[in-house]
Amino acid sequence: MLTVALDTVTTAALLFIISSGLLIVFGVMKIINFAHAAFVTVGAYAALVGARLGLAWALVLLLAFGTGAACGAVTEATIVRRLYQRPLDAILATWGLGTVIDQLITLIFGREVQFVQAPITGTMDLLGIDYSAYRIIMIAAAAIVAVVFTGLLNGTRLGLSTRAVIMNEMLAQGLGVDSARVRLITFAIGSGLAALSGALITPLSSVDPNMGLPWLVSAFMLVMVSGGSLPTLAVSCLVLGGLQVIVSTFVNPILGGLTIAICAAIVLRIRPEGFARA
Amino acid sequence: MPEVRQLSQATPAPIGVTDKLWVAALALLIVGGIATAPLLLDTYMINILIRAFFVAIAAITVDIVWGYCGTLTFGQSAFFGIGVYALAIIFTEYDFGSWQALFALVAAVTVAAAVAALTGWLSFYPGSTPLYASIVSLVVPIVLVQILYSGGTFTGSSSGLVGFESFELEFDNWFRLAGLSLAAVAVVALIVMRSDTGRLLKAMRDNDERCTYLGINTRRYRIIVLVITGIVASLAGFGYAAVGGVAAPENASFSFGTRLIIMVALGGRGTIIGAVIGALSIEVASAYLSGSLPYVWELIIGIALIAVILAFPDGLLGVIKRLTRAVQPTPRGAATRLRPIAAAAANDKASEVAIEVRELSKHFGSLSVLDDVRFTARRAELLSLVGPNGAGKTTLIRCLSDGRERSTGFVAIAGHAIDRLPPDGIVQFGLGRKFQAASVFETLTVAECLRVARTHRTRPSLISASVNLELPPAAISVVERSSLADRLGEEARSLSHGLKQALELAMVLSLEPDVLLLDEPTAGLTRAERQAFADILTTLAARDRLCIVLVEHDLDFVREISSRIIVLHQGKIALDGSVDEVVNSALVREIYTGQSTVAEVVP
Repeated sequence: MLTVALDTVTTAALLFIISSGLLIVFGVMKIINFAHAAFVTVGAYAALVGARLGLAWALVLLLAFGTGAACGAVTEATIVRRLYQRPLDAILATWGLGTVIDQLITLIFGREVQFVQAPITGTMDLLGIDYSAYRIIMIAAAAIVAVVFTGLLNGTRLGLSTRAVIMNEMLAQGLGVDSARVRLITFAIGSGLAALSGALITPLSSVDPNMGLPWLVSAFMLVMVSGGSLPTLAVSCLVLGGLQVIVSTFVNPILGGLTIAICAAIVLRIRPEGFARA
Repeated sequence: MPEVRQLSQATPAPIGVTDKLWVAALALLIVGGIATAPLLLDTYMINILIRAFFVAIAAITVDIVWGYCGTLTFGQSAFFGIGVYALAIIFTEYDFGSWQALFALVAAVTVAAAVAALTGWLSFYPGSTPLYASIVSLVVPIVLVQILYSGGTFTGSSSGLVGFESFELEFDNWFRLAGLSLAAVAVVALIVMRSDTGRLLKAMRDNDERCTYLGINTRRYRIIVLVITGIVASLAGFGYAAVGGVAAPENASFSFGTRLIIMVALGGRGTIIGAVIGALSIEVASAYLSGSLPYVWELIIGIALIAVILAFPDGLLGVIKRLTRAVQPTPRGAATRLRPIAAAAANDKASEVAIEVRELSKHFGSLSVLDDVRFTARRAELLSLVGPNGAGKTTLIRCLSDGRERSTGFVAIAGHAIDRLPPDGIVQFGLGRKFQAASVFETLTVAECLRVARTHRTRPSLISASVNLELPPAAISVVERSSLADRLGEEARSLSHGLKQALELAMVLSLEPDVLLLDEPTAGLTRAERQAFADILTTLAARDRLCIVLVEHDLDFVREISSRIIVLHQGKIALDGSVDEVVNSALVREIYTGQSTVAEVVP
């Protein structure tokens, strides 16, 4: 029972880290970044390279975030910027970009599955059961992401501009907010977070060119259900992530993998605003 | 006054004998080509093309759902996969035979229809967004593939089903069968998409909200389209599996679904022909290239998709069309004939009370926008809603026209309680709403916009595009008083702001409403246009006995035309009375301090 609870929290933490980047991009730009999965993969391979070079784990994470953010910035400037008026086309173009990135990674690194050693191995004794220490770390990582994020949004000038753009872009522009810059930075941060999450999950799963995809659909659904705010995203991750763990443990893992998508679709059908309050 | 007026300047171009000859020649060429091609092509190419034909049928269904109806769908592959597996599972379990084939066919159709109906129900509801529908379409194939994976020997799990006996047919004849099926599907799709029904689908794509406010239940249309295209895609998959004798999870997968989208995007969305060209060329090219250069080929497809979306959103066919149209412009619908229909005799039996509002409140969380609003409005009244910005005027209009908007309270339109009905339900009671910003169908012509507005009276034809445009006299008078009458064949997006406003008014009047809601109809209009508007409105109230509710900032305009004024202030009714009572009241002066003298200012 305790294992299930721990699984729930750590799964929610992982989902939260992966979806937060998608959420911020969706919140500001009202588009869904289909290249998100590819950026997760980019981060994982950046971690692979970093680990092979023998970098410290903190530097590996930084490398992953930086690579993702750079990819994101280039994507925004060359592709996404032209498609703000056509959100469905933005989905397609970012999907195309995802294919391109996946194929480039395949061409460079090959198709085979690779592994990265976790920086912290072994188990921790928690209330009488042994539990993977690295998974516990994920909870801290999610908390850090949430805190840094909230701090950025509420404590900085850029955060203020970003919130202004989220609420009313036209008005924000009228008040002198450079919304193009806000969008560029947001997209870069969102992509950087995707890559960071890719680097963080590598020790838990293998690294291969299509590794990001299975996470993508769950992340989409969580963002849609959350209605676009960070606290509701956390709640969605806990509730739906918990359901996923329960179904995987007690029913079957394949059905478990579909839990989030199906539950989220039904929640949205019955309550279009999702977990958001009004 | 049943006279018929030929309003277009251009001479009408009826489908002449030469056109018919062209169509016949083209049909003959296609049928002849499909019949003789197997004799000229090598076996490998024939084999590829047979599959490509079935894939192209699925691509056509994607084009209809996405290109014409505007829902980006990743899910058509699921229906294709249902057809594939219906055949494979039944032939594997029960061997091949004629009753098994029939059973498989029935299974393919019914399962696809059921899944499509469920998907449609999940995707389309009052207030659903295109993005959400897109995400649902993404979930469907993913769920289906997982089910196939966990189906054990029944579905063959990840390796799929092979080695079942199937129809005995020579490849040449499979080619002819598949080719003719594709041609038939393409022709039927083209005919329907060019008919009045096809126009309605495009109108839903351009502006779903306007459609619902024209009394059109867009959810129902979208679900029907999904069910029909789902069945067609399933039959394509059925044929595909019958030829190949293989069923693989990949046939139902989300990546196949995206490949179908890419085919349509590259060929040209919303054209049918583009989908066919895209599907055939990508299928053939990938058969030759994906073997030798697997990753590079995917890379090229990805880059091509980005390039097309950015530079040529209407695809290959769109580019060709633009090039040819530059040479020979063909105005659409140039030959539309405008006909008045007899005005519905002022319905004496209809309740005199047109709008009844009791205890209406609306709040967002703790913020109260409307508080205990109550009033009744009668037919032939021209009621103006005034009040400073943020007083709740537009919110009140919204609460009258959409049953899901208000928090509490009771609203009845022409004696019918609106309950929680979506706008299209309330329009049936006789409500027409004109939006603040002109809301028309941008890519449709003026005549087509007006025809869509008549959908609630005349069921659109599936086959033909009608030439006659029958409108109620009120709508005709708007069309004639503005210069719209001369521009029936032009796309709505090319109209000026004033003309778009007039077009939207004519569209709303085509509903023959008893209650007309107008949200700042004169904003941004010239003085002359505004005067014309005033004349039209007073006539509608006096002669046609419409109840008109008008949100307006321009107090001069309000004073000139209203029979009664309601002042909203901070979500409450501050005053309700005749023009003189309200305009001369101290309260209004206070609320509008300094504004009543500069009423000319357009907000």
